[in-house]
Amino acid sequence: MAEQATRLWLMYPSRLITRPVIYEIGKNFNIVTNVRQVSVTDEIGLVSLELDGEREEIKRAIAWLEELGIKVEPVEIQTIEG
Amino acid sequence: MSDRPFFSNLKCRECGRLYPKEAIHICEFDFGPLEAAYDYDAIKGSISREAIASRPQSMWRYRELLPIDGAPTVGVQVGFTPLVKADRLAKRLGVKELYVKNDTVNYPTLSFKDRVVSVALSRARELGFKVVACASTGNLANSVAANAASAGLTSYVLIPSDLERSKVVNSLVYGTNVVGIEGPYDQVNRLCSEIAGKYGWGFVNVNLRPYYAEGSKSMGFEIVEQLGWKVPRHTVIPMASGSLLTKIYKAYTEFAKVGIIDEQPFSVHGAQATGCSPISTAMKKGIEVVKPVPKPETIVKSLAIGTPADGYYAIRTMKDTHGSAEDCTDEEVVEGIKLLAETEGIFAETAGGTTVACAKKLIESGRIPADESIVLCITGHGLKTQEAIHEKCGAPRVIKPSLREFEALVADELAALETPQPSTLNS
Repeated sequence: MAEQATRLWLMYPSRLITRPVIYEIGKNFNIVTNVRQVSVTDEIGLVSLELDGEREEIKRAIAWLEELGIKVEPVEIQTIEG
Repeated sequence: MSDRPFFSNLKCRECGRLYPKEAIHICEFDFGPLEAAYDYDAIKGSISREAIASRPQSMWRYRELLPIDGAPTVGVQVGFTPLVKADRLAKRLGVKELYVKNDTVNYPTLSFKDRVVSVALSRARELGFKVVACASTGNLANSVAANAASAGLTSYVLIPSDLERSKVVNSLVYGTNVVGIEGPYDQVNRLCSEIAGKYGWGFVNVNLRPYYAEGSKSMGFEIVEQLGWKVPRHTVIPMASGSLLTKIYKAYTEFAKVGIIDEQPFSVHGAQATGCSPISTAMKKGIEVVKPVPKPETIVKSLAIGTPADGYYAIRTMKDTHGSAEDCTDEEVVEGIKLLAETEGIFAETAGGTTVACAKKLIESGRIPADESIVLCITGHGLKTQEAIHEKCGAPRVIKPSLREFEALVADELAALETPQPSTLNS
């Protein structure tokens, strides 16, 4: 499978702000993470993240993040417009 | 004409790093959005009110401030839509000076998207793209399909597979390749981003976004020129991603930078539908981080972006200009559409109803004073979202083919018309 770098925005609900999610990605999946920008308030955490790894592994990590309740968007954020 | 290029670079909005004028849109360092940057000193020497006024009536009369290198090749007739002095609507809203910037009649697909698409596709040609694409639920798809067809470019339009048939027809007719994608929006979004990266196509709102977004400025330039080179004190703008609002602000400030106008105080205000109002909600709370709306629920589909890319910048712009944000219910949207239609004869899509309804609230609450000039940006034609007002405009009254029946039907109405009204007696 091809290696690829994927750039994502992760949006955490408040209940997950204290959980070390990015550490867990590196531990549970064969993926290298690199944080580029972060913004955390009482209500939401936003992280822009680069993930390096095999495509299928990245897809599994995204599915895991979504299952946790984290919204995962490409860095383009909204490719679908009205 | 100066030898220096007017459009100089792409620039990160976060860190200010400069990038070459290619099909890129994200800063490699902080993933901040890239924006077109210009050599304003060079432009100052080339542009003037007289020069602009002598050019054809299209958005390209401000070409020094649009991000292409040569002459436009796509959408050369787009823009310069009417700025309507809306006296009857002003009276209903209780204000003195009100205008409607009427992009319901923008050429060729009846929405402001023709402005952004003509810039994106003109630039796509300069960059050598043969295939252009977009992911859209409506106006953007129609505009890409039509403008690509007239320019002889191959186009792909990606849509959610459950999109209403009526909306798809407005793209299919231009011979574009329409691909429906199954699954929730998040997945469709990520696939589009992957396709844009993999195929080397010009995706108008992904890798061509810095060029695309600049097209919105033309609406602001036109407003200033049509007001006699004046910036309106208040401009009310619908917000989806928030990009249009930031670009109208940029247009007003750029005209001052290049000496077309003196600096003038102005405020920009943003309008959203309550069922998807992440920007307005954050603005009202006084915070700058926009909390996503996972499931937008509103009839205003063209503004229903749950994670607005330019939300943060829109909030900053409203704050910097002492503007405000407002949102309105779907019922208020329908009332807004009808009010604009009944007073000014302009049939707007749901985003237009949102702008009118939010302007009404901003005026009633005193956030827009009644004695200052106001422009409402109306961005798309009502024929595109007719289903939103079905059953809400009444029905025709049906009679037999008999004059007596007709006379009985209209007798009271004619009597009311013949009774002199106090205002006509005095005039």
